[in-house]
Parts: sequence; structure tokens; C-alpha cells
Amino acid sequence: MKPGVPRSHIKIIMGFTLFNVLLWISSIVLAATHNIHLSAETLPNGQHGYKMLSHTSSDGSTPTYPNEATIPGPTVFVKQGDVLNVTLTNNTPLNVGLSPGSIEATPGETQSFTYTANDVGTLAYYDKDSHLVGLFGALVVDNADGSVDNFIDENGTIVASKRADLDKEFVMFMIGSTFWGAEIVNGTQMPLWTNPTLGAVKDDVVRFHILSLGPGHTWHLHAHRWPDKASTSIIDVKLLNDISDSHSFTIKAGAGVGTGYWQYHCHLFSHMEAGMAGKFHVVAKGEAGNSIAGASPSGSIFLNSSDAPGLVTFEISDEPGQWFRSIRGDALSPITKTKSLEIIPPGSSVHFIMSDTNAVHTITSLLWPSDADDPDHGDHRAIPFNQTKAYKGGGILKLDVPGLYVFTCKIHPYMFGAVIVDDPATSGLDLGESIDIITGINDLPTSSDLATRLLRTFFVATVQENWQDYTSSKPWHPNYPSVDVRISGGAVANLKTVLESRYGQDIKLASLFNPTTPGVGEVWINTQFEKTAGKTKPGTITVLDAATWKIKGKIALPEINMNNPHNMWSNRDQSIIFQTQWFDNKLTFINRKDGRLINNIQIGNTPSHVVTLPTNDDLTVAINGENGVRIIPAGTMVPEPMIMTQLPGQTAAGPHGHWVTPDGKLIVTPNVNTSDIGLYDTTTGGIVARTPAGGVFPAAPHPLAVGVSVDKVYTTNLLDHSMNVSGLDGTLIKTINLIADYDPVSPTGPDTIKDRDGDGLVTVGVLPIQTPVDPTGRVVVTANTGGSITIIDTTLDKVVAMLPCDPGCHGVNFGAKLGGGYYAYVTSKFSNELIVVDVDLNNPANSSIAGRISLVADKSVPADDQIIKLAGTGGQGVYAIPNVYNGWVQNLPDQWKANLTAAQLEPVQ
Amino acid sequence: MDLKSRADFSACDKNWLCVRRKNQSSHCSAEWIILPVLIFLISIFPYAGDVVAEQPATGNHHHIEMFADKPHPDYEYLAYRMVRHEVTDRNGLTTDITSRYSAAAIIPGPTIIMDEGDVADITLYNQIPNPERIELHENVSLHVHGVHYDIISDGTLKYINLVQDEGATLVQSYTYRWNAAPGTAGTWPYHDHNMNTHNGAEDKGLFGALIVNPASNIAAINQGGSSQAISLSSIEKDYILYILDDTFVGTEINRQTGQQIPIWTNPTLSAQSGSNIRLHLIALGTNLHQFKLPGYSWPEPGTPNIIEEKAIGPLEKHVVVIQAGSNSSYMDTTFAGKAQNMIGSLNVNP
Repeated sequence: MKPGVPRSHIKIIMGFTLFNVLLWISSIVLAATHNIHLSAETLPNGQHGYKMLSHTSSDGSTPTYPNEATIPGPTVFVKQGDVLNVTLTNNTPLNVGLSPGSIEATPGETQSFTYTANDVGTLAYYDKDSHLVGLFGALVVDNADGSVDNFIDENGTIVASKRADLDKEFVMFMIGSTFWGAEIVNGTQMPLWTNPTLGAVKDDVVRFHILSLGPGHTWHLHAHRWPDKASTSIIDVKLLNDISDSHSFTIKAGAGVGTGYWQYHCHLFSHMEAGMAGKFHVVAKGEAGNSIAGASPSGSIFLNSSDAPGLVTFEISDEPGQWFRSIRGDALSPITKTKSLEIIPPGSSVHFIMSDTNAVHTITSLLWPSDADDPDHGDHRAIPFNQTKAYKGGGILKLDVPGLYVFTCKIHPYMFGAVIVDDPATSGLDLGESIDIITGINDLPTSSDLATRLLRTFFVATVQENWQDYTSSKPWHPNYPSVDVRISGGAVANLKTVLESRYGQDIKLASLFNPTTPGVGEVWINTQFEKTAGKTKPGTITVLDAATWKIKGKIALPEINMNNPHNMWSNRDQSIIFQTQWFDNKLTFINRKDGRLINNIQIGNTPSHVVTLPTNDDLTVAINGENGVRIIPAGTMVPEPMIMTQLPGQTAAGPHGHWVTPDGKLIVTPNVNTSDIGLYDTTTGGIVARTPAGGVFPAAPHPLAVGVSVDKVYTTNLLDHSMNVSGLDGTLIKTINLIADYDPVSPTGPDTIKDRDGDGLVTVGVLPIQTPVDPTGRVVVTANTGGSITIIDTTLDKVVAMLPCDPGCHGVNFGAKLGGGYYAYVTSKFSNELIVVDVDLNNPANSSIAGRISLVADKSVPADDQIIKLAGTGGQGVYAIPNVYNGWVQNLPDQWKANLTAAQLEPVQ
Repeated sequence: MDLKSRADFSACDKNWLCVRRKNQSSHCSAEWIILPVLIFLISIFPYAGDVVAEQPATGNHHHIEMFADKPHPDYEYLAYRMVRHEVTDRNGLTTDITSRYSAAAIIPGPTIIMDEGDVADITLYNQIPNPERIELHENVSLHVHGVHYDIISDGTLKYINLVQDEGATLVQSYTYRWNAAPGTAGTWPYHDHNMNTHNGAEDKGLFGALIVNPASNIAAINQGGSSQAISLSSIEKDYILYILDDTFVGTEINRQTGQQIPIWTNPTLSAQSGSNIRLHLIALGTNLHQFKLPGYSWPEPGTPNIIEEKAIGPLEKHVVVIQAGSNSSYMDTTFAGKAQNMIGSLNVNP
């Protein structure tokens, strides 16, 4: 700092003293009374915002407010000690409140409260439930003498400033991964919407109010610096902590650095990747320095024409099917038949906000129009949209190239949201000439079977009503939108007609039947989407008695709002079930005998699978949203630090469906985020090997689950439709192409699926997931989301049989069959039955479906909560008690061993 | 587990010497060495005369050349490496201080130390082999925080600054001017803002610290529960501790000799009992952190307050000056920090 600074310090100190005296007087004499009438409104894109209806003040002047509801809402400027009589009229269909008041107005209702502005500073007013989707604004409480934050000039002098000296003020809310801005110039407020270009003239004195609600951020403005509030510490990055925080500061535009487009952005790396940036444009004196508003909820989108760029918003949700839910989904779905499809013209933007989820996610392009990522034109800086690792926040991107865009989450790869960018000049909604897929398939015609098969999968996965109900006598009737779409070659076709003619309609579902030979023990199934009355989050555990094939119980755990229970394991004596909550950060301990909660602990973001070490019964929990496997010593519920799945500073691996070798020496993880298979030493925690998953299309094979035989590891590559076979030292032995008999590129026809590899069999495993090896090591059973079960003979390492499965076929695990042998229990997300596969260990090709069992409980079944919706659906993790895998079966207590044969007790001879 | 990971990370640094003439890794093909060296040689000559005209009268003028490297072909890490650092003082006397730095590419990158009032011209060379994408002329850059620079030294792409791509490509170096003008004293991050995407590859290791020592020559320390000014010359060591999402990673700087030593992940810090050390904390990544050093408290920068922990978000900086007393451990006490064992020792020698 300059030598002259102490003098200005004295000035500041004197100023403060004077100010404090004035403040004391002002609170008695000068306090103004404000009558403020706000309303809550719904904006054209379905978001909500506050609008100023009237503001009068006993001290006279009030700002000129926008005459519409805006995000952020109107900025309310008052002085310390002022009294605010606030009235809120709720014109939305939701209950809306206004913190810091404690009111809540029902739809159509008006409520009031009085608030005294005791503390100087900028704070957010907001609705406690809907703040992440627009119901927020800033309340600025200034010092009674009008003094504002000091700024630092180009000579390093800290300069005191008053509100009257300001050329303009910006309010910038950091919400999800998007800035929502407003500008105040000479008492006139202008909405600037999302990621605006903020304009200023060189040497303008500009105050910024930065606010955040929800997950935290760091604010950074290039080339400018400011005192951190009243301190003399000069900063250019400021933390806005989780939940609610604010920071205000004053700068002299371009001081010491000159004119230019200076970027402002959140400095959280994931948020930068999600598009959380804009420009601060400092122009030379004599120029205008106007700001430019960004994409807005009132701008141009399907069903709302406007000259301004528009914005559609997807809420990221834990609600089954609606993982990407357009906030105006109710208005769109009569046309689109899903809440997860949005339509915009070129130049408008799509916005994501993780407002209804407890998990971390990525917002990742699954497919996009082929020319959207062209380096010469298009949006190659934004497409494919992706972030390095899972995070909390949101995302925003502008789309200029017409065609179909589908987004997913790398951690939860069945979450889908789609956007059609439709050129209004062409007939039919533009699906585009061709698409590129994240797996490295380029220029796939939109008329191809794979393109329409993916579209059909999208409409099945995102619409609860399109899921298969095996308790209904009606045929399966998925609804598709009856809209004209423009596809390859400029052809225009009706989408519903195309999908129904290619994939059928009113399909008769198979009949349910019990296996003739009982199983041993119990089968625990994560019916992950089943909804109950006592909690907001979905998911139950369905417990099946393998001796009678009757449902013994339903466990929802409403007391902990159990959220998307995904996978299970048990301790050695089979008394405790360990349950992961995949859209949350919890691991739950459940008493197997009575289904009661033992404990619910924070374990890490988005835990996926849990497996014990056969050697000592320690728990290993894959932390799918992060970068390691968490260990909990046997008999305790206190996690130790993680076994890290990568070296320090490397990209988080995101392990999903891991396994442990029967000798307990190695943890094997499919690393979804880094596309490799990790082998980790359970004693040292060190990395033994990380084998690139490769696959047929090596761009992002997405290894998701593993099975371990006596000497090999089998890993499914979800997005690559392939299976890697590797050794226990990590050596890749073979990649099995599960779609060798499938022609993805041609339009659907009789030859789409046929024996192309000449092995005499027609087998297709589209989107393979769980893939355990039976306890003897002979057979791999794989659940393929595309609706098939494939059987691999490990002596040949090839697919020897295919069995039918349901849409969203997902989980597999082995349990003992009474009298010898094993059943593979197979679950499906988008149906409500369990498929029992009788595995033929002598001739795996002869494996067959032994039974189909409803997962819907009747009223007589004991349950800890009332089932209200999606009964029996969402089948994912499945776990048979007793655990009969080699390495574990030997440690069973005697009473569990009693029902097993000698061969089952020592499966590997 | 922690030690094992650390050993792995340090071990790979032995091979992080792609462009070091003496110790060439067998993984490096010759073209990736010859091309940058040529650029390097060509650019030295016109460069010196260019900047003298703007030599400021107030402080020292730094001439710095750095490489952005891929230290090991099998790992995704990228890192900066100091090639030349000369300082010309206001009397025109030039000192070469290159030998203070590690000769290898390191994480964090070389710590650039300036005095308030100094100016630096920094030329960056792109040594990151990328034969598959050479046609893209992919940029790597230096974006610095805190100090003054004009729009062409922002280190961003034209996509952002609407002037030009401000980075080094495989065939073109880029020179930045940083002006540590009065009022910019403090510790600041510098990092890439261009590589791979417009977000840059800061998360791959392309980051370092700039220390602008104040003209006042004063730091603040906690003495008996209140903030007391001490002379900067009483500080024996500077430690740079970057706080990444999963680890601390650091550099030790001897303030007497200026020598910089990379000390890698969750390093053990050491100090003579009674000596003053200064920790420069900068976070980088996506996680928020809570820094603690149990048994110690320090002045909150720019205030009279004494604090014993600090919330730090990505690219925030926080400077802690302490007098070494008892052994302790620095740590991130957030849930993620504990789960990942983000902790290291402070050893105080009697």
C-alpha cells in the first residue's frame, strides 16, 4: 500500500466514529417506514419470481422497479433501523413464503409481516422451498449515513465511498451453477437474467452484491480487486458458503487494468465446467457501458414467442423417471408425453438446477446433433457438455444448432433429459440429420434403429406410466408423443407412428409363475422407485421368502426418509443388512430379522454398492460420486478414511458396482468416471492396477459393474454394450462385444438383429449392468437394460444364451437353490417383477427362466409405511440370504449352513 | 494409505523430466524437445529490447520464462516449470535467480516472488505433447490473480476476452506482463485458463503461487492474543500449501536463500522452535475446506481479530503467520477432508 495510506486510515476511523454517532441518532430520529407489496408469480418457462407491486417510503423516494416478475426479484434498498411492512400476494400454484419473515401464503392468498432492518449488509429474501427455482431477491440494508464498502483505486489507496457516489450497482445471485443478475442505475432496476454481460464505463464506481443460496460458490472477477469488507485485506475471490451467504464490495471499473471484457465466474471447477461465467465489459469513457441481459424465463421457447433469448429449466430430482424434470413439465407433457423433454429455438438456453436431489451428479451430453460440436461452427466450447466429476449445483448452456440433445448423469446413467432445438423455418420438430453419441459413435442417422431405440428408451425411462405392471391384465402400452419430427434426409414422420411400427404396441406381458424348486433363505430386493406415504423420497426393500416365493415384508424406513435404496450386503452371521442410498450420502444398517433401522450414517456422496471382506467382515462401500472406497471395520459403524481409487490430484474415479476377491486381498472397482477397472490392495490401500476399459467404442465405455470368478474379472461397459474379461493382475484378456448380432445404423427392419457373428446364436445385450459370476465360477449372468439377460460360459468367455428381461433390466445376484445349484435373481427398474433364472452349471447354454414373481405386496404383507405409488417397481440391487459366494459361504453360521449342500458349502472344488 | 499414495505421487516425479536435457525420459520423442527449444532460442533475442522501454522506475523488473509440461507420459498431470528468472533492480543491476527453483516441472508450479511495485514479464512455452491435436494449436496460459495487467495479459481465450487467444501453442510462445502495483500486496494464485476447454487445465496441476511482499515490509502475528506487526525479514520460511479436492500439495521456500523445494502431497512442515513461518494457503478444485492447525491461532488478514480456523473456497487465498511453538498437524476438517485424510504434520525442532 502507498505511504499515504495511514492518513486515509485516520479518515476512515474518523468516519466510522462519526457514522456510529449518526447511526445511534438515526435509529431514533431518521428511521423510515416502508410499505412493500410483493407478489410471487409464475414465469413463462415455469420458474417462479417475485414482483414489486408497490413500494412507498416515509423518506420519500423509492426505486423504479421492473413491471414484471424477475429473477432475482426486486432489490429492496433500505437503511439501518428502517421498518418494513411487507405484504406478499401469492399468484403461483405453490405455497410461497418470504424469509426473513416467517409467513407462508397459499395460492391466491395475501400475507403480511413487519421486519426491522437492524443489521447493515446485503441479505437474501427467499422462499424456503422454491428459492433454487427463482423465488429470491436481495435486501440491501445500508448505513444510515449512506456509506458503502470502500474501494481500492489504481494507486493502491483505499477510498471511502457513499451510495450517492455509485455509478451503478449489480446484484448477482449464484444459484446452482448459474448467475442471476440485476442492475440498478440511478434508482432504476433492470433484470439482467442469466450470466449477463455487465457493462460499465472506465472509472465508474460500481457496487456488487453477490448472494448465494444452496450449495456454496467462490466469486471471482478478473483483473479487479477489493477490500474484504471492512478489513484492509485485498481480495479478488470470495467464498459464499453453503446454504445462504452474501458479500458486497465496491470497485472502480478498470482501475489499473483498463478497458476490456473481463470474465466473472464461479471458481469451483465443476461449476466453471457447467457454464457458470459471464463478462464484465469495461468501456472507454465516452462510450455507453450498457449491460446486456442473458437468456430469460420470459424469452423465446416452445409455446412462448419472444424476441429475447429464452431459457428452459430442468430440475434435477430424486423422483423416479423425473430425474431431469422440466419445471413446466405439467404444461408440456400433454404434447410431449414426458416431463423430461424441452423444445427451444436456436439461440435459447437450457438450464439445469439440482434442486430436488440429495446426491451429486454430472450434467453430461449423451448425444447431440453431429454438427453441434464442429470446431468451425456450432457450440464446440459447450458440446459435448460434461464436467470432470460429480458435484452439487446445476448447469447452463446456449444451444444454436438444431437437432436432438440428450443429457444424462455419469453417476446415475439412467437419468435422462432431452432438448429439441427446433428451427422454426422447417416443418416438424428437428431431430437433426444425424447424432453423435458420447461413446464415440459419430454421424449416426436419426432414422437408424439405434437412434429410435434410444428415443423409445427415453420415453419409457422418463414416464412412470410407461412402466410395466405385471399385476395388470392389460397389455403394456407406452405412450409416445404424436408429433411430426424431421429426421435424416429432411424426411418428416410422426414420432408415435415410427416408434409403434418399429417396436410394437399393446404388448402382452409374460405370465407370473413361481419356480417349482424352492430357493434357500430370503431374497432382498431394492424396489428403488416404490413410493410410500410417510416419506418424500422413493424406495423400499422388498423381502421375499425363497421357500414359498411370498413377500415377507416391505421396508421403507420413513423415519430416515430412505432415499433410493440401491444395493445391499450382509454381515457374516446374516443378522445385519447394509443398505446404500444412491441418491444421498447415507449408509443404513438394518436388522435383518425384523427389518428395523439400526443406524443411518453419512458415508460420502452417492454411495452405490457395499461388499464385505470375506477375511474379516470389514465393510467396503464404493463412493460412486467421489473417489474412493470407504472402509468400516467389522462390528463398528464408524467409517475409516477411504481407500483412494486414484493418485492424489487425479480425476475422481467414481467407483460403482465393486466386488472383492474370495481371498479378501483385492477390491475390484468399475471406475465409471475414468473408464477403467481398478484393483486395490485391501491391506495397504494401494493401487495394484488400473486397466483402461477400452471397449468397442473407446470414448466412454462406462464400466459399471464387475463379477469375479476364480481367476478372472468380468466388467460390463454400459454405454459400449461390451464386457471386459481381465486377470486378477489387471491384464485385459478379452473384450466381448455384446451387440455383435445387432445393426445399430440401418433403419429398423427384419435384419436389425440376426446372427451376425456366425456363432449360431442371436444374442444382444444392450446397456449391460450387473454381472456377477456364480459361486463356482462357471457362469456369468448379465442384466442388460435394453431388456435381455445374457449368459456367459467362463470356460469359453463367450455369450452362450440370451433370455428375455424387462425394460431397465438391472440387478443380478446368486442365491442357493434347495438341494443344490443356484438361482440368479434378476431385477428390472421399469417393471415390478423379479425374474428367477435357473443356472445350468453343467451346460450354461441351457440356463432358463424358472419363475417370474411379482414384487407388489398385498395388504397382508407387513410394512413400515403405506405404499401409494409405483408398487414393486425400480428393481435394482438384489441380495440373497444366505450369502453363498465362494469365500463368504465358508464363514456362515451353522444354522445357515444347515440348508446348503456340501457342494454349495465349498463351491470351488 | 496416506503414505503409500504420497510415495506414488512423488515417485512419478522422478520421471517428470521430459524436457530436461540431462535426464531425458525414454518416453519422450525427440520432436517434442527440439521444437520448443527452437522456439525458446528464437524468442530470447527480440524479447529483451522490447520490454526495456516500459521499465518502471519504482521497482524491480522480473524477466521470467516458464514451460507448461506434461511431466510423465503415463499420468494425466500437467505442471509448470521455471526456465529463467532474472531480476533487474532500479539501478539496472541484473541478478539471475533461476537456480532457486526446482529444475523440474512441479506441482504447485514455481512460486514467483515479487515486491509491491515490481513488474514481471513472463513468457510461457507450451511443452505439452499433443500430437493428435496439433492442428488445433491448443493453448496453455497463465492467468494471474490480484495484480494489475491489461486485457492482453488476462490469459484467456478470444472466446472470453474478445481480443485474442492469450496462450502459448506448440508453435508460439506468449508473454504476459504482471504489474505488482501498489495495493496488490498479498499471495495470489496463477493458473492455466485455456487448456482443453475454455476452463483451463488448472485441475491437472497447472497452478502456482505469486507472492507480492508488501512495501511496508510488515506481517502480522498473534502475540499473546493480539495481532502484532513483525518485520518480514523475521520470517524464516514460506510454505505454499495448495488445498486440492483430495490433498494438500506444497512448496517450501527458504527465505534467506530463496531456495524452493517441492514437498508434494500432505507434506510434513518443519520449523525451528521460536522461528516465524508463513503459510500461504490457496484452494483449488470444487470442494470447500475448513483449515485448522490445532494449538495455533493467527491474525485474520487485514483485521485485528485472532482466529484459529478458516473456511477456504477454491482460489481463495489465506495467509497464516505463526511463531513455531509445539508440534501440530494442519488439516481440512470438513467431512470430505477427513474421509480423504487431508492432514499433514508441523514438526517443531527444538
